[in-house]
Amino acid sequence: MARVWRVRRAPTALPAWLAVVFYAALVTWAAVVLFPLYWIVVTSFKLPIHVYAGPVYLPFVDFMPSLHAWRYLFVDLRNDTLRPFENTVIVALVSSTLALVLGTGAGYGLLRFHYRPRLSAILLFTATAVLVIAAMAERVHGLAAIGGGVLLFLLVRAVLGRSGRTVGNDDIAFWMISQRMLPPVAVVIPIYVMFQRLSLLDTRAALIITYTAVNLPIVVWLMRDYFRNISLELEESAAIDGASPYRIFWSIVLPLATPGLAATFLLVLVFSWNEYLFALFLTSANAQTLPLSIAAQNATRGPMWWYMSVLILIMITPVIAMAIALERYIAKGLLVGALKG
Amino acid sequence: MSKAVDRPGAEEIPSAPGARRIKTGAGWGAARLRAAADWPARQVTTSFVLPAVLLLFFLSIFPLLVSAYLSLTRFQFVPGGFALRWVGLANYGKLLVGIEQSHFLGVPKPPTVVGWLLFGLAASVLLLFAVRGITSASGRRGVVGRAAFAVVAGAGIWLAVRTLTPGGFPGTLLTTLIYVVVGITVQYWLGLWLAFLCAQEVAGRRFFRVVFLLPMMITPVGIAYTFRILMDLGKGPFAPVWRALGLAEVSWANYAWGARLVVMLGDIWQWTPFMFIVLLAALESLPAELIEAAMVDGASRWQLFWRISWPQLIPVTSTLILIRMIEAFKIIDLPNVLTNGGPGTATESLTLHAFMAWRTLDIGGSAAVAYMLLFVVTFAALSYVNLAHRRLAEAA
Amino acid sequence: MRRRVSWLLVSILLLLPLAGVTPAASQGKPFDGVTVNVLTFTGPQIAEPLQRRGPDFGKLTGAKINVITVPFSDLYQKVLTDVATGTNSYQAFVFDPQWMADFVTPGYLEELTSRVNADKALQWTDIMPFFRNFSATYGGKIYTVPLDGDFQMVYYRTDLLQQAGLKPPQTWADYFKIAQTFNKKDLNGDGTPDFGSCIAKKRNAQSYWMVWSVAAGYLQAKGTREGSFFDADTMKPLTNNEAFAEALRVYVQTGQYGPPDELNWDVGDSRSGFVTGRCALSIDWGDIGPLAVDPKTSKVQDKVGAVILPGSPRVLDRKTGKLVACTVQKCPYSTGGVNHAPFAAYGGWSGAINKAAPAKVKDAAYAFLSYMSQPAQSSTDVTIGITGFNPYRRAHFTNLAPWLKSGMSAAAAKNYLGAISASLNSANMVLDLRIPQNQRYQQIVLDTAIAKMLAKELNIDQAMKEITDGWEAITNELGRDTQLKAYRESLGIPTK
Repeated sequence: MARVWRVRRAPTALPAWLAVVFYAALVTWAAVVLFPLYWIVVTSFKLPIHVYAGPVYLPFVDFMPSLHAWRYLFVDLRNDTLRPFENTVIVALVSSTLALVLGTGAGYGLLRFHYRPRLSAILLFTATAVLVIAAMAERVHGLAAIGGGVLLFLLVRAVLGRSGRTVGNDDIAFWMISQRMLPPVAVVIPIYVMFQRLSLLDTRAALIITYTAVNLPIVVWLMRDYFRNISLELEESAAIDGASPYRIFWSIVLPLATPGLAATFLLVLVFSWNEYLFALFLTSANAQTLPLSIAAQNATRGPMWWYMSVLILIMITPVIAMAIALERYIAKGLLVGALKG
Repeated sequence: MSKAVDRPGAEEIPSAPGARRIKTGAGWGAARLRAAADWPARQVTTSFVLPAVLLLFFLSIFPLLVSAYLSLTRFQFVPGGFALRWVGLANYGKLLVGIEQSHFLGVPKPPTVVGWLLFGLAASVLLLFAVRGITSASGRRGVVGRAAFAVVAGAGIWLAVRTLTPGGFPGTLLTTLIYVVVGITVQYWLGLWLAFLCAQEVAGRRFFRVVFLLPMMITPVGIAYTFRILMDLGKGPFAPVWRALGLAEVSWANYAWGARLVVMLGDIWQWTPFMFIVLLAALESLPAELIEAAMVDGASRWQLFWRISWPQLIPVTSTLILIRMIEAFKIIDLPNVLTNGGPGTATESLTLHAFMAWRTLDIGGSAAVAYMLLFVVTFAALSYVNLAHRRLAEAA
Repeated sequence: MRRRVSWLLVSILLLLPLAGVTPAASQGKPFDGVTVNVLTFTGPQIAEPLQRRGPDFGKLTGAKINVITVPFSDLYQKVLTDVATGTNSYQAFVFDPQWMADFVTPGYLEELTSRVNADKALQWTDIMPFFRNFSATYGGKIYTVPLDGDFQMVYYRTDLLQQAGLKPPQTWADYFKIAQTFNKKDLNGDGTPDFGSCIAKKRNAQSYWMVWSVAAGYLQAKGTREGSFFDADTMKPLTNNEAFAEALRVYVQTGQYGPPDELNWDVGDSRSGFVTGRCALSIDWGDIGPLAVDPKTSKVQDKVGAVILPGSPRVLDRKTGKLVACTVQKCPYSTGGVNHAPFAAYGGWSGAINKAAPAKVKDAAYAFLSYMSQPAQSSTDVTIGITGFNPYRRAHFTNLAPWLKSGMSAAAAKNYLGAISASLNSANMVLDLRIPQNQRYQQIVLDTAIAKMLAKELNIDQAMKEITDGWEAITNELGRDTQLKAYRESLGIPTK
């Protein structure tokens, strides 16, 4: 266990000139990143005229800060600010967790096991599914349609037998990532109709389902690559000892992949936290999320930068907290190398 | 009993030939299952992917088919509701040869000498590439793939050469490609450099790590508006600087390339953190032995990184580029908010093109643009996976 | 301790009236238990007065008004998706009547003619004729209740014009003279040179209305019914002739006196530019008036004047496509030989009712829209800057008191209202395009061609050709007869 804590970094400190170069680079980029954020913070305390009449930079020095935007959003609107906030938190957390759970398993499966589904079976399944959906759209009872579909599938399957071309893991993985290729604007209306038929419009459930599916491919692909870097030997010896795949996955693989899990979780959290177009269409009154509130600040009189800035700050704070919390796990990548060494 | 196994995406044949295609993939799973190729064990492996496959399948199949259908129709209101009139390929024809051609493909002009030279160079490389496909023993599929790639890539370069000539204007297709290529290149190297810096033993690196992640956490719409005020040369923070430089009469918003540059700046600011965080996590989870061994041999920090660490990052790099590529093709918020696609149509991306059509209820036209985008992305991603990704993934 | 007691007292005092009122409120009101979901965009403009007056209306009638808002840019798609898929989450909309053709054709809107005629409190005839007869009406039937008056005017700086001894512009030549005089001068005392004219020319924003504000005076001379977009007999676009070419030249020329990045200015920029004193002239809807009064936004309080859109002494001869001088026959509504055609761009936010709503809810929704429009409420609302409502009734012009209360000086109020009523009283007001899929004609074809022309990708002739070809393509696609019928209906011309 002692080896775990051994640091694998360069034993010698950085030479002075290199340290200067590194710091210069780090500080420069930090400035590039922080200046726009500083501008958002300052703008949230400005009156419209401070924005309109050319730039002012320092509160109390070249302009008198005002809390009007904060007051408007937290006092005047209150529930119209807090409800979307609550929705955003719940939707993003639940959907990212689900995507991580499903996607991690799939990523691992696609790396370690071989799947060889037959092309004919896939096409048959697709055709049956389309038929079932079409039947349900024509208002055939759901259970009857699904039952009929299963029967049809099994019947034709028996007739066709088990032959023909198969597809491999890479094809499955590519199919998954290809689900992100169509821009949301192309699929938003069909998805709207789908959730309308399921009576899920304007619920958090609709957003959670959508975001989980949208983020799954990213989780699968990233986690597959993180798992790739984990040495096989541990798993193999555990398998020889008779551990089940679940046990190996849960007790050996996942702990080793913590940095990847943390990074991936943060990524998909951010994606669902910030998503706009689906949120716009799948919600109306109850389930609206914060990105809608931000976009809404550009109304008939031009963008209301002050309100927008406050909302951006409200939105970004929890994610920063999350990033700080998860950063420690990303840093634990140290453990991986040490355990294997 | 056995029929239930044949669900798509779920079946598993333990002793499948060619099981060595993924190097690390031929792991203990196959070995174990060869020993006990019984049904429950197969269900266990199936259960890893099945939930994900089914969720994706059911959430994507219906929208995909419906939007494909919409792209072949025209949406119109009629008394009593709306009608979808079948128009065949008219929506696509409009983009490629019809009234939207100059918008989608651009305005071509005869290439200059430099243009001809560049095109000649690219064409000969592609030709060489296609010919090598015939001579090498990669099978019929490989030849067809190579030839198709060469033809499409050649057409793309021809389009670029003709529309980027003085007097020509690139359409939304080429503009999007420019965003993708420039954006990914800059973001990757910047992200890698930052990840490298943050993996060093420097004081305060935890601070830098969190700070560098920040841009990604802001909602894209918010970033777009932030850049709009930052880049405003009348009332943004850089206005006095701009005036002091004597440029008060000049604005990036009037120049096609100026506006594209500003859009790309925003994109780089926003997405470099994505590259950064994934590369950093990968860098942090690299095994230590190799590095230690190399350090014992007295390798420099620079050599350590390029010879030992970076090659191991290649699989992640490759995935990262693929994911970013797919996302980058969908760029919309920045051009939409910064310039609304202007001046003229200079900054308009394909997704914005589709979005603008969609907003005016031209649902068929919008779906056609989206499907053209899908073809381009699929082609790019397939070429990338076949030409680069598999090799890179196996190289590690 | 003392503080806690006082808090307790305050809370009790606050709760007492509630306790007294709440049970009483739900007895014997006409719309007890009825909930109306009203959709509009996220304000504060437009949504604010609805949200503020909803509870008052509830107290009177028992109906519960839920104001639901979505981002402005996506309102149109959101409403149409909701009604077209039969979701019907909303029973009433406060939206842009320019979209009416897309809603009336498929039958999504409740016809309001009989309700309006039976409604004395609404004082329908007090509404200015343009909004009553054209804006709220489609094919001779009433579908919306006007809540706002929208059309474009030219704003100028009274202080500057006075100093230079210039008069407000009557023609575009006057406009250029003023713009030239003040361009690159410091107009607000901050030491930096400012601009002669600021117009929102950003693509896919308001530019396509701005260009029509210039073109209208060249294209339409014989009253609203003549129409300015198409020939009302053949549906041929009026965009490929000498008059439109001249209008485009004028529009391009305004750029000479504008800010360097004018191509990226939307109305948010031009409004903030004008009220911070950076612009001598601007074209805009009624919004600059109240914005200029507000000390939180304005540096030009009481220095702002408005005037009817400049006109042209020469107009289009529709037979020949030539630009010809105004005569009494050619320009019956001209003043001093100049043909003014104030452009009612966008049309003014109006309330409409979803036909699919239950009868009782429709009644409640109508009662609410009527309540909002009645002079007792609207006379105050149009004077409050935050509401975004601009005057549209006679009553709004006759009573100056609420305007003075809002912070305008008597002179400014008179000037502002004078420009508005001059435009509204014009029988040559120009109706915005209201045919099915008008957004494709304007927001896509017209806007893109204008943007390319301003970016010098196209010259004026090429731009005219692109607009004309694009419009013809859409018309042919959707059916010339259908579109022509709709165009005539929107102008109130009987169908042949």
